[in-house]
Amino acid sequence: MKKPLHPLTLWISAILLAIGVVALDNAWIALAIVGAVALLVFARRDGSPWERSFNLSLRIGAVILGIRTIVGILIGVPIPGSILFTLPILDLPSWMPGIRIGGAVTLERLSSSLHEGVIIATMIALFGAATSLTSPHKLLRVTPSFIYEIGITLVIATSLFPQLATSARRIRTAQKLRGMENIHIRSIAIPLLEESLSRSLQLAAAMDARGYGISRKRSRYRPQQWLMRDNVIVLLTVAASAVMVAR
Amino acid sequence: MITFSNVSLIYPHSTKTILEDLSFQIQEGEMVLVMGETGSGKSSLLRLINGLVPHHTGGILAGDISVDGISTRTVKPGSLAHLVGIVGQNPMNGFVTDIVEEELAFSMEALNFAPDVMRKRVEEILDLLSLSSLRNRSIATLSGGEQQRVAIGAALVMQPKVLVLDEPTSALDPIAAEEVLSVLHRLVHDLSVTVIIAEHRLERVIQFVDRIIYIEGNGETSIGSADEILKSSELVPPIVKLARALNLSEIGTSVREVRRATDEIRSRQYPEVDIASKADSPAIEVKDVSHSYGEKVALNKINTTIHHGEIVAIMGRNGAGKSTLLHSIVGLHAPDKGKITVNGQDPTALTGGARRQAIGYVPQEPSDLLFASSVEEECSHADRDNELVAGSTAALLNRLVPHISHNAHPNDLSEGQRLALVLSIVLAASPDVLVLDEPTRGLDYRAKSLFGLALKEYAMQFNRPVLLATHDVELVAELADRVLFLAEGDIVADGTTLEVLLSSPAFAPQVAKIMSPKPWLTVSDVVQALGDVK
Repeated sequence: MKKPLHPLTLWISAILLAIGVVALDNAWIALAIVGAVALLVFARRDGSPWERSFNLSLRIGAVILGIRTIVGILIGVPIPGSILFTLPILDLPSWMPGIRIGGAVTLERLSSSLHEGVIIATMIALFGAATSLTSPHKLLRVTPSFIYEIGITLVIATSLFPQLATSARRIRTAQKLRGMENIHIRSIAIPLLEESLSRSLQLAAAMDARGYGISRKRSRYRPQQWLMRDNVIVLLTVAASAVMVAR
Repeated sequence: MITFSNVSLIYPHSTKTILEDLSFQIQEGEMVLVMGETGSGKSSLLRLINGLVPHHTGGILAGDISVDGISTRTVKPGSLAHLVGIVGQNPMNGFVTDIVEEELAFSMEALNFAPDVMRKRVEEILDLLSLSSLRNRSIATLSGGEQQRVAIGAALVMQPKVLVLDEPTSALDPIAAEEVLSVLHRLVHDLSVTVIIAEHRLERVIQFVDRIIYIEGNGETSIGSADEILKSSELVPPIVKLARALNLSEIGTSVREVRRATDEIRSRQYPEVDIASKADSPAIEVKDVSHSYGEKVALNKINTTIHHGEIVAIMGRNGAGKSTLLHSIVGLHAPDKGKITVNGQDPTALTGGARRQAIGYVPQEPSDLLFASSVEEECSHADRDNELVAGSTAALLNRLVPHISHNAHPNDLSEGQRLALVLSIVLAASPDVLVLDEPTRGLDYRAKSLFGLALKEYAMQFNRPVLLATHDVELVAELADRVLFLAEGDIVADGTTLEVLLSSPAFAPQVAKIMSPKPWLTVSDVVQALGDVK
């Protein structure tokens, strides 16, 4: 078992890198960072259900990139340059000045849309990586206790999400095997809803029975220690993001 | 330790009394079994002990329950956390954190224990339940038996005087179940923990328990020693059925006792019975099938053929590859290597109605297939899907379980009724092959034997194969013609039920253990052999 880093280290690094990426505003470097982070996530995976959040964040990033690009092409200020193709211009009422839908799509306009999309997707991927390397549950363990109280509530709420996704997939395949080809939202939602409701009730009962909420104060089992290597990593990322901001 | 005085329980909006005027006392260090049919109120009784019922679920409670002198009426369940540990039916649903160690510490954190006390107790529990090697593992990656042990550990760190478990072995293979039960046995004997346990598979627990609380439904309850209760109860494990069938004067609960009483029967000579092998007409052919998840090999070059009219059980420990094999056969995923054909067709290519007719599949959670708001609606949906005369599915269901309310919501049915509903929906398409994944979890003996009959009838009448993955040794003994035994992705045994079950001590049914070395698996085998001699 590899000894994990302090959860805050990874989150601080992710935030610093995100600031750097936004400040530098260079899509190529952003992509390189995503690649490096992907390698890191792959190397440090431990089989926990949260580890899938990196993949999920990549997918969300891709969707955003797609939408951002399409919207960027359709709507917005025309940027002069070499024209790739021309879309028909939609007539808008006079009370909407300055907005144009359609029109000439220039290479510059396309690349600027893509560029912005990549930056946004990178930020999402960075936080996805932080989540998949240290589960939010671990992060909560190091937060001050007044946050911890709210946090544990959130943990319980969020711990249902990965389970929800697994259940949805399981129900979908079961129904496919019953020969139901069309996805009816109702036929998945109803078993899913029933299951998650009864699951939350069971969880609440289990927590109740185990003394949750009886004592005003909570103690911590094995507080996470901040080690030298955490210092080193944070300092390195501070330096990296300082360079990116300064440029 | 636990006193129930004149306890009655009724849930609002329900006409059925769950418990009526129940009084008993349980002493320190006793192990008590709560038995009854599904839906008879076993779970309610268990949850009354730490006040989850009615504090958490609602319900009207009369009478008084006290644990170690504290009345559950006056305190919240959490205030009893140091006194009563409770382990739910599905431990996965009760886990709050995601790492083993943290889960063990959760209760103590909530009750503000000092960090050094926590460290010490967690270490003790890790050792007591042999969980040390798993301490940093993510709970989601543990096997069923390991998860159950973590759940027991999480309750035990509070050093409770009472431990309450709701069907702790229902999802476990026989070996993992034995592990969990021997842990409980040790707790009772070494630490004088009072253990209350609800379980359907009596054959697994009966030898460990001191007393039985039998909830007979309709509010009646009887309490007594295992022998007293089993003498007259309707729900009995095979060991007691055997004693009844042989007219033994004493009912024993352990294999050793009954073996002594049946010495004479075993010493007689019996004519050899040869088992007629089924006709050779392949229905499902599995050729060199391998499948892996990441680095984990789930199936390793599996070769087997399932014939028409055969009931085949796939057995093996949790994680041996049973579900993967079933999923490959029903075409949930194409195997990495190798080929599977079901009556000559590729199962992954089937869709819609053709799929329903080729392969009937009952998943591990039967309710995954249900989505309508009443039994009637489910049935008519199946009729429409399969272009049957209206009412066909309902008629099928009526044969499986008579007196099912057709207006009931599928979710309100008992486990057995729900399984019957799903089975009739699947059978309505009259599939060429029937595949079931752990169908008898949470079923009582009556529901199980009805279910067994339905499967047998299907296999015999239509001469079609039935394939089921299960941990239930007794079911396999009653039902299956052939057993495939999987271990780590390999078929390690493939033969008639008799051969495979007799050769494995852990997977042998109770009757076989008693009658060894005679080749009998079930009570009816014994009765038949005795009849042949006379």
